[in-house]
Amino acid sequence: MATITCREFQAYLEPWMEGERPQDVQAHLRTCPHCSSVVSDLELIHTEASSWNAAEQDAPERVWTSLRAQLEQEGLIRETIPEHEDAAKVQAPRTGWFSNLFPQLPRPVLAGAYLAALVAVAFALSGPVNKRVNEARWLKGTQTSTSPLSAQLNFAEQNSNTYIARSNPDVTASLHQNLALVDKYIALCEKSVNEEPQNEVARDYLYEAYQQKADLLTQMTERGENVQ
Amino acid sequence: MSTSHFVPAQWLPKASWKTAGLLVPGLLLCSAVAAGPRRQEQHFKVAAHPVITIHNPNGLITVKAWTKSEVMVISTPASDRIEVDAEQMGNRVDVSTRELSDSVAPDDMRADFQINVPEDAELQIHNDAGNVSVANVLGDMNVETVAAGVDLEDATGYLTVKTVGGSFTCTRCAGRIEASSISGNFRLLDLRTYHVWAQTSSGNILFTGQFLPNGTYSLKNYSGVIEVRFSPGDSFDLSATSLKGKVNNEAKLTPSAHQHHFMPRWGNALFGTFNEGRAKIEMTSFDGTINILKRD
Repeated sequence: MATITCREFQAYLEPWMEGERPQDVQAHLRTCPHCSSVVSDLELIHTEASSWNAAEQDAPERVWTSLRAQLEQEGLIRETIPEHEDAAKVQAPRTGWFSNLFPQLPRPVLAGAYLAALVAVAFALSGPVNKRVNEARWLKGTQTSTSPLSAQLNFAEQNSNTYIARSNPDVTASLHQNLALVDKYIALCEKSVNEEPQNEVARDYLYEAYQQKADLLTQMTERGENVQ
Repeated sequence: MSTSHFVPAQWLPKASWKTAGLLVPGLLLCSAVAAGPRRQEQHFKVAAHPVITIHNPNGLITVKAWTKSEVMVISTPASDRIEVDAEQMGNRVDVSTRELSDSVAPDDMRADFQINVPEDAELQIHNDAGNVSVANVLGDMNVETVAAGVDLEDATGYLTVKTVGGSFTCTRCAGRIEASSISGNFRLLDLRTYHVWAQTSSGNILFTGQFLPNGTYSLKNYSGVIEVRFSPGDSFDLSATSLKGKVNNEAKLTPSAHQHHFMPRWGNALFGTFNEGRAKIEMTSFDGTINILKRD
């Protein structure tokens, strides 16, 4: 029987965890220790999560709210609340996004198992079923986090240019050349992120490029202050 | 003193405007030389593990270790518009270049240094342009430059190097190395280090050296070439990923025995173990080329 590759298997991961068992995927898992190990790990997480005691007392609402806020801050969830629904629905997450994902889970255990939740939610978001929706979320999340940063850096760049006017020409030239280089990388990374919003490598490089630009502008500003 | 004393009497009758025309520029030249670079040598007695800080805008800084419990600073400023300050505070020696007036031309803001330090000295060097060269110093080291290149030889300790465009060469270094740059090239040659973290955006990274057991080696760039050269006796777990570039490999790798990697959905990646996988090597590039080659 024709089997699939590890790369192709990733597309089957979420359906597999939801109970689908295509024969070619089963065949791949029998022969691939890496993928079978991944599945084992995820099944273990799922089993452990399912076994948590539903009778435990609820945690305070603030814990639940904090967990949700953290997940949103991580960019892992982004729920749009319809305008006609009242705020009470936001206060009742059991009937919302999370309870659909793990309906048996009690809140206090969830709050204590933040890491496991991150893995599960990230896993769910990376699934091909919701690919288009997720890509839009990732893109929006990335843009939301980088747009203010970009604006601030552009503002700082304008100030830095005036600061280093009297510095050593070689140093000034090097700073400008490297700033142009970083700007070029930012543009290329942004292009990659726009094309593949879920590409975490491209996103990492984009964030690092922004960090480099911030460092560079700091150096330029400090240098300018030194020569004044 | 009159200049006439230096002129032979028999020349006096012929001492024409031509002679005066030769003498006057010569004297002016002498006075200019006297007011030019002033070589200065200073010595500071220090105890064990002294800290030496150097702040210089531009110039060649050469630091060498010696066996004396003493720091010697020989400085040569490029002009009399700047001054080199070297002062001792306890077991610390601070060396800095400062301008004497508000309007010093950038070309005048240059000083070269030749510094000798005890082997166990800790160094903190900041030099924007020129070059920094350090040999045989065993203490921790922090070097920051903009355009200046950095050359370290036979250094140990915790070595951190940060440049904007300057290159970095580390030869026969040991200890722990962390280097970052935007466009500088890195050459890490014959290393014996347990920890290497090197990141440059457009520069190349070349690593030749031992991959020590339990050592971690992380090499990352955006573009350019990352190249490691291994020996048949090396032992490492390898992870090499180039998002839009190539990964060329000459090592016969087996599936990783220590960790499970998700195959990335993007780019070209290579994971595996060479021999027992005792060291860990991670190489990442955006659109550069990664070469894993046999050492000659």
